[in-house]
Amino acid sequence: MKLRKTQAVLAMAGIALLAAIPAAAQLKSPDDVKSSLKLLVMVSNDFKRQITNKNFTRVPHENMEYMEAADGLRSAVKDEPANFKAKVETKLKAALTAYQKVSDMSSTTPDADKLMAGHAKAVTAMNALFDLFPADLRPDPNTPPPSHRGPPKN
Amino acid sequence: MSNATDVNSPCGAHLARREFLIAIFALLSSLLGCGQRPKSEQRVVDLFIESDGDFLTFRPDTLTCPTGALVRLTFHHAGKIISARHDWVLTYPGKLDALVKDALDKDGVLLQNDPLVIAATPLCDKGQTVTTQFVAPKPGDYPFLCSTHPEDMQGILHITK
Repeated sequence: MKLRKTQAVLAMAGIALLAAIPAAAQLKSPDDVKSSLKLLVMVSNDFKRQITNKNFTRVPHENMEYMEAADGLRSAVKDEPANFKAKVETKLKAALTAYQKVSDMSSTTPDADKLMAGHAKAVTAMNALFDLFPADLRPDPNTPPPSHRGPPKN
Repeated sequence: MSNATDVNSPCGAHLARREFLIAIFALLSSLLGCGQRPKSEQRVVDLFIESDGDFLTFRPDTLTCPTGALVRLTFHHAGKIISARHDWVLTYPGKLDALVKDALDKDGVLLQNDPLVIAATPLCDKGQTVTTQFVAPKPGDYPFLCSTHPEDMQGILHITK
């Protein structure tokens, strides 16, 4: 009896979760959303690369680009229902705050390990944002985008 | 009275002979190639390349032209969101790594007379289009890149015989 109750609760939770995530086909501009999410990943990877290469002075520049990519996402969801936009804005702000923190740290505490730890937290915040979108639109934040391929043979 | 030339009059015969000589001269000239277009006339090749929207790749990332051609290259920054600037810079085979390092060290600001650079467009903002022209060097695979994103935006210009 107790097991059935648990199953019912889990099923309800699953249904609620599915209802909260619009299908790609339901989004007004799925291509723009997909592109914006991919851009966020691209800039996040650039953040990571600048930290790895100890180009700390470049980190605020990447943060600026992250904010621009975030504006791109806002624009891509502008025609979505208000409650969905509010959810996106909340998660987006959390991600922006996390990346801003990394950017600030790059000038006050230019320590690669600490910055990498901060970046990992920012990626987690970005993942939480991506969870709001259909799986087929989400890039993998840990996979480098196609632009980061090896150099051509010279 | 007529202005027509009378070949039976001494004057008319003289004119006719002159026209005949001119015709012979024209014929010989054309046979000897004096009126030909110069063999070395330079071929002009127009190439177009753009950024893949806001992403850090060239589209297409390979271009082709024949050696000796006058290349007129147009680069379009197709970005709409990110304010990063881009350009198109051509270097010599085997010099890509050196140019990448140079671009990274100089934060994308390459010298106008950089010995590693064969040709380059000016840097441009999103939505803008810039051009450059150069004579295609000897056949080979010549790498190109964007000086502000030298590790990401790269491609090859195949110069054929």
